[in-house]
Amino acid sequence: MSRSIWKGPFVDGYVLKKAEKSRESGKSEVIKIWSRRSTILPQFVGLTFGVYNGHKHIPVAITEEMIGQKFGEYSPTRTYYGHAADKKAKRK
Amino acid sequence: MTNDRICVGSIAGAFGVQGEVRLKSFCAEPEAIAAYGPLYTADGSRSFDVKLTRPVAGGLGARIAGVATKDQADALRGTDLYVDRARLPSLPDDEFYHSDLIGLEVYDTGGVLLGALRAVHNHGAGDLLEVYAPTRKQPLLIPFTKAAVPTVDLAARRIVADLPEGLE
Repeated sequence: MSRSIWKGPFVDGYVLKKAEKSRESGKSEVIKIWSRRSTILPQFVGLTFGVYNGHKHIPVAITEEMIGQKFGEYSPTRTYYGHAADKKAKRK
Repeated sequence: MTNDRICVGSIAGAFGVQGEVRLKSFCAEPEAIAAYGPLYTADGSRSFDVKLTRPVAGGLGARIAGVATKDQADALRGTDLYVDRARLPSLPDDEFYHSDLIGLEVYDTGGVLLGALRAVHNHGAGDLLEVYAPTRKQPLLIPFTKAAVPTVDLAARRIVADLPEGLE
């Protein structure tokens, strides 16, 4: 069952405060958060969060396509090392 | 750039009784394994001409030149298949094969060695370089962006990283 629209997206209060503080400082930093359940809001675009996965904080650079998803979706709790083969990485 | 061979798949065993094999492909696009020409064993002593036939449970069905019976196909079970690095197509700027990046040494902007690159991950929010240093408890995860990784020098086998504040 989906969440009622009148409630708005859920975000932990401390995530909002940390994001605002980081945006005001203008520094390039990773904002450490433990709240995997918080929704990604439009004002987070351009920031980098370190989302806790139970072991460490995984850096997640927020882009427009991520709005509406939860932080936890980008910080898996299990790591799989596959073969490199012909896989490619793009530097953005 | 290295001239090594790259593991692109392995033979999981026979498929059926007519000499077909079940192939496990490690490529980003599984069917691409047949496009790289002849595949080799790890030591390069044998080469295989592979022709894909159909997708099968747990992999791809394939015919290998010179393999006509189930016994011959079964004998190849567990064989890893390699391709020459030079056969992979060249990439545009700022795009790199994982196999080229893995093993490079990572330095910070001050020239201090941070560790060696062990893996490249992508969890949906861009590529991450996993840097392993024996002195650290946890591997270092660096976003693969121009800001955080200004220099990738494949010839010198080194990466320069400008770590953002708060990275662990």
